[in-house]
Amino acid sequence: MSDDFVFNRRDFLRLVGIGVAGAAAGCAQPPVEKLIPYLVAPTDILPGVPYWYASTCRECPVGCGVLVKAREGRAIKIEGNPAHPVNRGGLCSRGQAGLQGLYDPDRVRSPMVKENGAWKTIDWEAALQLAAGKLGEAVKAKRGVALLTDNATGSLQRLAAEWSAAIGATHLVYEPFAHESLREANRRTFGQASIPNFDFAAARMIVAFGADFVETWLSPVGHARGLATARTADNPARFVTVEPRLSLTGANADEWIAVRPGGEMALALGMSRVILSESLGPALAERGALSDAVAAFTPEAVERQSDVPAAKVRELARAFAKAGPSLAVTGGIAAQSDQSVALHAAVNLLNYVAGNVGRTVRFDRTPSYEAVGGFCELQRLMGAMGDGKVDVLIVSGANPVYAVPAWAEFAAAMDRVIFKISLSPVLDETADRCDLLLPSTHWLETLGDAETARGVHALTQPAMQKLPMFDARPAGETLLALGKAAGRGAAWPATWADYLKAQWKPQHQRFGAGRDFDTFWRDSLAKGGVWEDASPTPVRWNATPAFASPGLRGPGEVALLLYPSQAFYDGRGANKPWLQELPDPTSKGVWGTWVEIHPETAGKLGVQTGDPVRIETEAGAIELPAYLYGGMRRDVAAVPLGQGHTAYGRYAKDRGVNALALLPPAQDAASGAVAYLSTRARLAKGAKAMDFVTTQREKRQHDRGIAQVIPVSALFAQVATRGAADRPIYNIHQTLSGHFEGPEPPKPSQTRPGLHTTPMQHPEGYVPPAHAITAFEPEHHTRGPRAIPVDQGSYKHAEHRWAMAIDLNACTGCAACVVACYAENNIPTVGPELIQRGREMSWIRIERFEERLEPGASDVRMVPMMCQHCGDAPCETVCPVYATYHNPEGLNAQVYNRCVGTRYCSNNCPYKVRAFNWFDYAAPEKATFAFPEPLNWQLNPDVTVRSKGVMEKCTMCVQRILEGKGNAKDENRRLRDGEIQTACAQSCPAQAIVFGDLADPASAVHQRSFGARRYWVLNELNTKPGVTYLKRVKQDTV
Amino acid sequence: MKRALVVVAVLSTLAAGTAAFTQSFSVQMGDRKGPAQPINFSHQIHAGKLGMNCLYCHYSADKSPIANIPPVSTCMGCHKLARADRPEIMKLAGYFERGEQVPWAEVYRLPSHVKFNHKRHVRAGMQCAECHGPVQEMAVVYQYPSLKMGWCLSCHRQRLDDPRFPTTMDCIACHH
Repeated sequence: MSDDFVFNRRDFLRLVGIGVAGAAAGCAQPPVEKLIPYLVAPTDILPGVPYWYASTCRECPVGCGVLVKAREGRAIKIEGNPAHPVNRGGLCSRGQAGLQGLYDPDRVRSPMVKENGAWKTIDWEAALQLAAGKLGEAVKAKRGVALLTDNATGSLQRLAAEWSAAIGATHLVYEPFAHESLREANRRTFGQASIPNFDFAAARMIVAFGADFVETWLSPVGHARGLATARTADNPARFVTVEPRLSLTGANADEWIAVRPGGEMALALGMSRVILSESLGPALAERGALSDAVAAFTPEAVERQSDVPAAKVRELARAFAKAGPSLAVTGGIAAQSDQSVALHAAVNLLNYVAGNVGRTVRFDRTPSYEAVGGFCELQRLMGAMGDGKVDVLIVSGANPVYAVPAWAEFAAAMDRVIFKISLSPVLDETADRCDLLLPSTHWLETLGDAETARGVHALTQPAMQKLPMFDARPAGETLLALGKAAGRGAAWPATWADYLKAQWKPQHQRFGAGRDFDTFWRDSLAKGGVWEDASPTPVRWNATPAFASPGLRGPGEVALLLYPSQAFYDGRGANKPWLQELPDPTSKGVWGTWVEIHPETAGKLGVQTGDPVRIETEAGAIELPAYLYGGMRRDVAAVPLGQGHTAYGRYAKDRGVNALALLPPAQDAASGAVAYLSTRARLAKGAKAMDFVTTQREKRQHDRGIAQVIPVSALFAQVATRGAADRPIYNIHQTLSGHFEGPEPPKPSQTRPGLHTTPMQHPEGYVPPAHAITAFEPEHHTRGPRAIPVDQGSYKHAEHRWAMAIDLNACTGCAACVVACYAENNIPTVGPELIQRGREMSWIRIERFEERLEPGASDVRMVPMMCQHCGDAPCETVCPVYATYHNPEGLNAQVYNRCVGTRYCSNNCPYKVRAFNWFDYAAPEKATFAFPEPLNWQLNPDVTVRSKGVMEKCTMCVQRILEGKGNAKDENRRLRDGEIQTACAQSCPAQAIVFGDLADPASAVHQRSFGARRYWVLNELNTKPGVTYLKRVKQDTV
Repeated sequence: MKRALVVVAVLSTLAAGTAAFTQSFSVQMGDRKGPAQPINFSHQIHAGKLGMNCLYCHYSADKSPIANIPPVSTCMGCHKLARADRPEIMKLAGYFERGEQVPWAEVYRLPSHVKFNHKRHVRAGMQCAECHGPVQEMAVVYQYPSLKMGWCLSCHRQRLDDPRFPTTMDCIACHH
């Protein structure tokens, strides 16, 4: 550890970062370092004290509320805002990784202009002048101008609309996942072209027809919270998934119905028919008409169309109607076929006849998608561009060149536009095709707002100054300048901030009672925005559209299923190393693309996992490494989307394959949405050898009981017999005044045979010291607790026993905790080559175990696995240098500067949760350098950046524990339960992880750790883990 | 006699070695010569002669893990008027007017695997001089203690049972 790190704590003291410190070699005096103070210190900002800024995540259209932690003027961590109505404290992996977009080393550093096909730097004034000149020419010649934006919502969206009106431009809001079919189906069936608020928490039975609602569909963080609430209720909700390929969402279900691709609609209608014909639902005025509409879908007919047994259709329908309120959802890219409006309408009908509309399907806090144009609008624009009717195109926030399927030929249409301007902060595929680049600021350094759902007026505020190396301007500022330079918009304020504030006048009128605007503005910024309850718009059945089953084209033995990657969404997350290194929840693959095929299908082809497979459709052919996955039908092949970028930056470029190229031209018949499920494919053995890089090759538990479940009936029986009184009460606080005094407890002796195998006998009234407290009950008699005298070291002052309880019933396996841990603990990403050799550095991982997995029958279990902080830790006894030891408060500590890298501890760890620094990931001169400038700005100054040859592992965020204890000391009070949260516990959308003091009987972690569902992983080893898991509850019916 | 001389020589060498070894862990090992600073700032005048409180300039020492280096504006609070004609002050004013930070040379440096918390120590009632030495007598500030771990622990060991602020010997309190 004698090397000076590139980035150390002292660097944070400096307002201006200075270069690399010289290495202190041998006895030579280290060169004197410079301390750069502030010139004028900002008021109320102290170096070393973190500041939190409320903001709104813009990594996807959901707009979760976030709190951004800033230290010494740098944003270093993003956490969910517990007060925000959309996500209530959780945040997904994409949101957490927003920081790596801010500090992306491949961000555009200044405006650039393309000259003879090469980018050339240009200054802002010249760039704006050039753009305004082209705009002016186009306006004067009455030629077309188009503005293409993402679903920014709020003031930026209004400005874009006003700007377009003033210029006479076409404004199109483009989102690759625009949910057109859902909106169109709702318009037809309910007369409401909006997206409802799905209340998963209230539902007693959930049926998902292909909707990956805890991954990418609509509001995954909010849904995960709702699902966890429904599942952890006293009478857990039943969750059935209907999809040809078991997604992560499906893996959380109690039951998987492996429907034929495109057969979902028939099943939904069949269920409706049973409910209607058996009069199981509420009385409906439209009953006759609805019965007629679904008359053809008898359970037997459904069986023919969807491969779902008729008896199952009846059983599902009856349970669904009886559960009340229940909830059926559909959507998701994997189920978006050429009849997806029909599918949505069928599910709407099912919800309607079961009486869920208005209860779990409410049009109250509806997500703002009203302004988003469908694919048809984009095609109209493409047509105009292709015909040469558009002279100037401005793209902001969207990347259609990548996200539009190849058959639509967006790039070709775009090339016909004379002058193309991009406001993208990165050189993505679309920006790379433009002529002028006016880089926008990242949302973490921009003032703005977002109205992502009805009743939510959220603000984004800069958590730090603009990064000095990126000469960027807010997109709003650029639009205002362009409009004004083109001679329009005289009424607009000069700056974006003024425009934004003017837009907030109505909010001030409504919410700012008794406060002047500035106070209201400051209050709103501090809170993250203002929100109000949204009253539900009542809907009733409007009309029943025609129901037709989707068709698949082309020859081939399998249906091609394209699904959005959980980490990359529509591909926009691909240039973030945290997300690239985040194992896929299903295959555990990283840094690439693969094709999932059923082992039997693979057997026919003669391929194993990792072997190349050629996938051929009418539109083209690609080769991908195979991943053999039992969780899919034999007649489908699935490929994740989001990779295969041809530009965008060093982490995304030439990584994996963009499978959109396989799609033949196909659109939804009613809404025009891209039909992602539209083609069959031919599979063949590929020729090109390639790597499938994965972090978990073995997905069986081998009866080790790592992930355990408990049937509902068994749980109830256990609660009845054991009750809560069984709980041992350790109240360490009672003994704080005078620690235990009495006869010295007998010490275990290794010399006398037999004695060391008997449990230690404690005298009556003995209260164990904090570090020895455990919820663990040994199964066998072994060596008793180590007789560490209570007053050794400062152990008698130990008040706490830090511990964790993880509820597997709530955990969805979304891996938000993994990215949160990377961010909090300065964990380096190592890249695919090292992961292939098993050298990933993550401190927490989601282990996936497939107990049983065949089409239609699944038992998939996911376990967040990190250091268990064992009371009797196998790692501690083998460390020759005492670098890992047990701390008085029960933590298994790792001292980096003591570690000499023998790796004995990792060898002896039964949980395999230790990571070794094989290379110097923090040394910029090395090829393994993980933090190229300015990614290193994100590093947490409270955590050491580890160097080569050092072992590291989960510390239970000891820096947060120390901070929390310090805050309590400052205020002269006891720690409050829940005051200290580890990064993983904080980020969990489902609140599955609880951290706290096991020695405090009132703490949440204590309550959970002594509950009926608890167990410990590998407890037969008697390691006395500090992490208690709560078994997943399994429905008896399954 | 010769043998006695050898014994004495060996013993004295050992004694000297031991002394040097223990010294290296003791408070006395600090580098008495501080690094040259861009401005000839004297703690002797400010903290000694004028008796200014340390926390006037280093105001975050009791509020934050990091004791701040005062911003140039803090200096200028007095030196806009006080001694504004002196060459060193004019140098300072020059930095301020140019909007440049003063590149002070670092005296106390901890390796990055050590996390020291000023606030905890100041709030436990420790005096700045207990670690930083007689700063009020230093014209050029030098590193007073050795800053070796043994030096930290010499105090932590003694005050384990301090009734109000018991210290800790837990490694991860500083190394995490």
